[in-house]
Amino acid sequence: MARFSVLEKILVPTYDDPNEMTPGQVAFDYEKCGGCSLCVQACPADTLLFEDKKPYLKPPGKNECMACADCVAICPEGAIRLTRGYRFTKYFKTIDHGELRGPRLCADE
Amino acid sequence: MTQTAKAAIPEKPVRMTQAEKIERLKTQWTETERVILRRRSVRLYKKAQVPEFMVKRILEAGRFAPSAGNCQPWKFVVVREPEIIDGITETVIGICKTFRAVLDYRRPGFSWLRPLAKAFIRLRHSDLHPVPFGAINLIADRRLGLYHGAPTVVFIFKDVRGVSSPELDCGIAGQNMVLAAHSMGLGTCWVGFAKLAFERTDEWRKRLNIEYPYKFGSSLAIGWPRGRPDGMIERQTHPVDWYENGRKTVYC
Repeated sequence: MARFSVLEKILVPTYDDPNEMTPGQVAFDYEKCGGCSLCVQACPADTLLFEDKKPYLKPPGKNECMACADCVAICPEGAIRLTRGYRFTKYFKTIDHGELRGPRLCADE
Repeated sequence: MTQTAKAAIPEKPVRMTQAEKIERLKTQWTETERVILRRRSVRLYKKAQVPEFMVKRILEAGRFAPSAGNCQPWKFVVVREPEIIDGITETVIGICKTFRAVLDYRRPGFSWLRPLAKAFIRLRHSDLHPVPFGAINLIADRRLGLYHGAPTVVFIFKDVRGVSSPELDCGIAGQNMVLAAHSMGLGTCWVGFAKLAFERTDEWRKRLNIEYPYKFGSSLAIGWPRGRPDGMIERQTHPVDWYENGRKTVYC
């Protein structure tokens, strides 16, 4: 079976329709967060808000997270976790993207 | 020349058998792997300039990259003039504003634009993929910088007459430079959006004397990072088809 229907090859998703575009998602551990705002400054998608000295992911519809995890890497407290990758539909349908995993030494067999 | 080259070769490490080497690999990353796995795109830089010799060393890493038929289809241009870096940024912001005005159907009152914009997106699918489409809007709003205050930018121009895929060769050379820079504690970011300043106007081509056969490939922001942006993260796995012993397995 072909992975793409003819329509999927032709039609592009509607960029502001949450049913056709699922952005990435990060979770914050506010107990660990020191409020330094480096994550907010590092985010290329300007999708993190900084309010009351804590970072927040913008709400659905405004969230443009592309799951780069730059915020995760720059956080000095290890307080951020990537919880979901992005997912697009139709022409840009995300395929062959599996679970989120850190680097693996692959020596367990 | 030969002497400097010789002097640069480090002493031989303590000899290990291959089995010992393999055992060690099972529990630890090599230094090179660590640089590769920890490299993140850096978008926060200190103002301090990068020492000249370090930039030249980074260029050496690019010079020794593999290329199709050893054709080396690249021209590197180093820019450490804030006036040029800011000028290119302003040009890109201007072009992004125009693109947004013509294409962004997400603005209130512009849904009538959707079918037209979608047709155009389908046509230029890679330039107008959802991520760069979002970035056009962010750059136009100055919510996403181009070079993020990096004091050094390396432009990579491709020689369009190169063997097979000169753009790919430029990518290989560029990543060599990126990894060399991160191994020195520097930060880098690939900046492809500068393409707009070189392909949509001739101002910057003229200013930097770029002419046939050179075409914009990509550019690299280089500088000292603010904070510690490098580190390992989680990322999607991708199924890998693996053919061996007469059967196919899928490794994820």
